Amino acid sequence: MITSSILFSITTFAYFICALLYFSGVIFRHRRIMIWGSITGAATLAIQMVGILLRWRESYQIGYGHAPLSNLYESLVFAASAIMLIYLVMEYRTKQRALGMFPALFAFLAMAYASFSTSVSSKIQPLLPALKSNWLIAHVVTCFLGYAAFAISCGISILYIARNLKQETPGYTLSLLPDLRQLDEFNYQMVLFGFLWLSLGIITGSVWADLAWGTYWSWDPKETWSLITWLIYAALLHARTIKGWHGNRVAWLSIIGFICVLFTYFGVNFLLSGLHSYANTK
Amino acid sequence: MQKKGFLQGIYQKLTSPKLTVVIFLVLAAASVVGTLMPQGLSEAELQRHYGQRAIWFLTTFGLNDLYHAGWFRFLLLFLCANLVVCTIERLPKTLKVYRRREEQVDPGKLAKCSLNCQFISNLPQNETEAWLISIISEEFGILQRLDGVDHLAGVAENGRWSPLMVYVVHLGVLLVLCGSLVGSLFGFKGFMNILEGESTNEVMLEGSDRGLNLPFQVRCDKFDVSYYDNGMPREFRSDLTLIRDGKEVTKRVLRVNDPLTYDGITFYQASYGAILNDAEVELTDRESGAVRWVIIPFRKWVDIPGTRDRAQILRFEENFRHLGPAMVLLISQAGGEPSGSLILIEKDFHGNRVENYNVKVLHATRIPFTGLQVKRDPGVWLVWLGFALMLVGIGLTYYVGHRRLWLWAAADMPGKVGTRIIIAGRTNRNEISFERKFKRLCDRMQAELRQESGEGTP
Repeated sequence: MITSSILFSITTFAYFICALLYFSGVIFRHRRIMIWGSITGAATLAIQMVGILLRWRESYQIGYGHAPLSNLYESLVFAASAIMLIYLVMEYRTKQRALGMFPALFAFLAMAYASFSTSVSSKIQPLLPALKSNWLIAHVVTCFLGYAAFAISCGISILYIARNLKQETPGYTLSLLPDLRQLDEFNYQMVLFGFLWLSLGIITGSVWADLAWGTYWSWDPKETWSLITWLIYAALLHARTIKGWHGNRVAWLSIIGFICVLFTYFGVNFLLSGLHSYANTK
Repeated sequence: MQKKGFLQGIYQKLTSPKLTVVIFLVLAAASVVGTLMPQGLSEAELQRHYGQRAIWFLTTFGLNDLYHAGWFRFLLLFLCANLVVCTIERLPKTLKVYRRREEQVDPGKLAKCSLNCQFISNLPQNETEAWLISIISEEFGILQRLDGVDHLAGVAENGRWSPLMVYVVHLGVLLVLCGSLVGSLFGFKGFMNILEGESTNEVMLEGSDRGLNLPFQVRCDKFDVSYYDNGMPREFRSDLTLIRDGKEVTKRVLRVNDPLTYDGITFYQASYGAILNDAEVELTDRESGAVRWVIIPFRKWVDIPGTRDRAQILRFEENFRHLGPAMVLLISQAGGEPSGSLILIEKDFHGNRVENYNVKVLHATRIPFTGLQVKRDPGVWLVWLGFALMLVGIGLTYYVGHRRLWLWAAADMPGKVGTRIIIAGRTNRNEISFERKFKRLCDRMQAELRQESGEGTP
């Protein structure tokens, strides 16, 4: 009997292969290998999607019946799929396979963390009363599409900085990467895409909080950190539009923004307490 | 005069877009501080955690309640001022650009555009014209004709309004902040605990000692918690009845995520608990060994039968340090000073003793209460409207650029068949995809021309 956990194990392993293929393709300057990276990535994403749907069904079979977006494990799995989904659509549209290195790596890391960390429980748990709402799906999906876009943008930024450090020389390792101008433009597009989804995520969260707790904004650490992330990316967009910042500065700001995303996602859960820990919602 | 100069100076500073970025980053940094420091500590907690000097520092700069501190609100106000001033400065210019229509096309300028393409068509002039117009309107949209005496010219554009969208986003931000201001000025947020079976209209306001009386009574007919098999709570529900002037106006079940609104006031299921009604207690006199039973009501003195002693329950805790429910029992011997001790209700504990009695609780009657969050927020609609504007604005600002495509065509040499064609394009967003589109158009045009001329000359 195929279960979602078997599919997720396959997914974890396959994303590792996928990342390996992308990295080897770029390092050995071999386009054929990168094509295999894309194929592996797309196939893995399909397996993962089936896994997510299966887990959804399993939760109904147990009798809990909720979308697989309710705890750290499920959100990590969703994050990995969101990263690959957005990336593969972007790859299809831009035809730039070399950008797949970091998205595949991030997707693998998210899956590996979900599968192997002892602090992440993969059990299907019932929903607390506070989470029982259709807003759960809207809020989590929008937030994670945003986070995923920022992860990809962070990857592009790293490539930009790497490429900028060592300009074209014969036999240059990164020669299969898009040129600096394209990298900058892709980065900007990704940040914009993420910004729109993050805004939607914050807003759906806010509307939901008003419904559940009677306050659309309570300066809880998770909310505040998502606002901090939003402010950093808002600063990036303004700096780029008004002050004409490009290239390295934008790349660094985008990396800082992604560090904020990571802190909003993990740091707040582990280091700070608040409404999102669901400890004080009796 | 000097004052005016000062105000003008401030105004000048506020027009700077650099300031916006700085305010964003300062707000972000301040928010970080707020999440790292514990917020909203009471006076007693402050005393326990910090020294005198640290407390002075924290309260002076409002660091223990940072998001409500004056300087933080000033920062938000500053952001609004910056936004408004930038809008006043820029909107007229944007509108002017928006209204300005091109009247003619200059081939020299087109050739200087970074995206331009030139070729020659050998088709008859009228065929060339028809072909150009159809291909451009197919790929880019309707071509507005700006023909001159001896040439065909025009511009096809879309998203002319997209530069205006940024003002929609900013209006959205202002509305959100206005909405929250309206809410805090004309609304309230509070809390009410209602015992099962009782009704009240008293709301304890958040962050103050004051209360507020609602114009109607809220009765909790029943409170209930249900659990999953694994012990996690499944649902909290309160059966509520609202009573106005003695009449039941609303009856409804309140659950988490499913608030009840009546007369502009919204109730949320927020918490629950229980109070002790009375406890049946077995008291064993350690000296004489005599055993006595007594029912002690909450906070009322009762005589212990057969003695001159009296007992009272002073306090009840649902779960004292994870040891289960506990109560503070006071016993006053022969009219003397009462002495008290904490008694665990469900556990046999060697410390369950007061004065010379060993205490055992046989039965405790509890009354559950429901905890409701209560609020009135007349500004919330402004906030939702602001959110909607922000989303629409952000989406359209970045995903619809102002794209323009110019066309100029004229006889290559007077009297001959050939037509010289120049097209050029410009966008303010997503240049790479625009370039691709422009290139595809040029390639298609050239391919079609080659085909035509190939067929034309065997």
